[in-house]
Amino acid sequence: MNSAALRKEYPTLRPMSDRDQSAVNSVNARLTAPVDPDSDESLLVETGNSQSTEAFNRLFQRYSSRIYAMGMKLTRNEQLSKDLVQEAMLNVWRKARLYDLDRGTAQSWIFTITRNRCFDMLRKLKRQPNCVTADDIWPQDNGSESAILPEEALHEEQGSLVAETSIIASYCKQLPEPQQAVIEQIYILDRTHDEAAEILKIPLGTLKSRLRLGVSKLRQLIGVDL
Amino acid sequence: MNIDLDCHPTTEILNKYVQGSLPTGWNVVLSAHLELCQKCRHEYGDLESAEVLSWSKGPVEEVANDFSDLVSNIIQQPQHAAADTPLPQESSITEIHMLDHSFTLPRVLAKAANDGLEWKKLAGGINQAKVNIDTETQCEFIYMSPGSQTPMHRHQGNEITLVLDGSFSDASGTYEAADFVIRNSEDEHQPVSEEGCLCFAVLDSPLTFTQGLARLFNPINRFKFRKTIAHQS
Repeated sequence: MNSAALRKEYPTLRPMSDRDQSAVNSVNARLTAPVDPDSDESLLVETGNSQSTEAFNRLFQRYSSRIYAMGMKLTRNEQLSKDLVQEAMLNVWRKARLYDLDRGTAQSWIFTITRNRCFDMLRKLKRQPNCVTADDIWPQDNGSESAILPEEALHEEQGSLVAETSIIASYCKQLPEPQQAVIEQIYILDRTHDEAAEILKIPLGTLKSRLRLGVSKLRQLIGVDL
Repeated sequence: MNIDLDCHPTTEILNKYVQGSLPTGWNVVLSAHLELCQKCRHEYGDLESAEVLSWSKGPVEEVANDFSDLVSNIIQQPQHAAADTPLPQESSITEIHMLDHSFTLPRVLAKAANDGLEWKKLAGGINQAKVNIDTETQCEFIYMSPGSQTPMHRHQGNEITLVLDGSFSDASGTYEAADFVIRNSEDEHQPVSEEGCLCFAVLDSPLTFTQGLARLFNPINRFKFRKTIAHQS
């Protein structure tokens, strides 16, 4: 199949953009970095994956005074700052499973939670209309350029077609192994995202971003090589 | 004149947006601009990384609070299953139609306009729809019909205008979609739009009209603003 025919059949294939490339680079760098079990990221994943109260306790020790400090800076009120510690750490506990290893540091994830909860807390206190919330106001992806836009999410869905041709399967072998593993689980073994995350023992968010990066790398390979 | 001719928020403003220390109205217009401007999204990303670093690595005073009860309360709460990720709420308004134009709103503005927009005709071909966002700013969509002209006016505080569609001009230049225009109390201007222009504007105090008959409206204008604020609070 030549490149024109392939594009016709898979109209969503597009060459990799700089944005995809930088996301792939940052993930590759992360994948080769040694995993420190005592890092904030590891503690957060453990908190989410196995409801580890010990891991959560350590995160609490590390972050409560920083959260309190941000509260004092934004509210200049001790009680509100204590409330913020509770509010933010409760969100860290509740949302830990949604944390995505591939998209940012634990610091940045907790920072976003703290700032956003503080903002919503203050609006509620000032009885301002709740037409917009912090999550509407700040980019969901910590300002990185790797957020899944609705359009891209659609591409990802349609990417399942990719696995159906052997020519494309051969390109899979050129992907970093963690991405290959995810693509194999989803597109070849036809597992759900949840099942695959459990089998591979990675957070669901990480699975999704590896999948997305793998699919966009495939697009690049196909766009460049054919 | 203190005019930022490159039509993007300054680094200082972006930094305050990152830190969450601005009034909501400002945050909303910044968020909308970021959605339309890749350059500023990149700068935002860099500033946020720097802010996170200084927040997580900088010195911090130990808090003399005993949070131990807090931890045991929190861990009794259920965790979100990953599948529960809340989907972003669909806004009922995602587009604004003006004459033969329609424009898809940035996400945050669609959300802010979700309760519906009530357009009022002002003098000079200007249409205004206020959005009640917070008590510190006055936020509004402005639609300048083709060939329209606002009266010469000056601002008591800051006015940010984000151009969403079309263009307008004043003595300092012409502004097009995604342009972020800040005017402060020293600036006196008289925007005109030949092709028509949809904007979102955030003011942190009432306008002071400085020309002709429009001056008569000054006290009323101030009164109306105070009334709006009082009504909101």
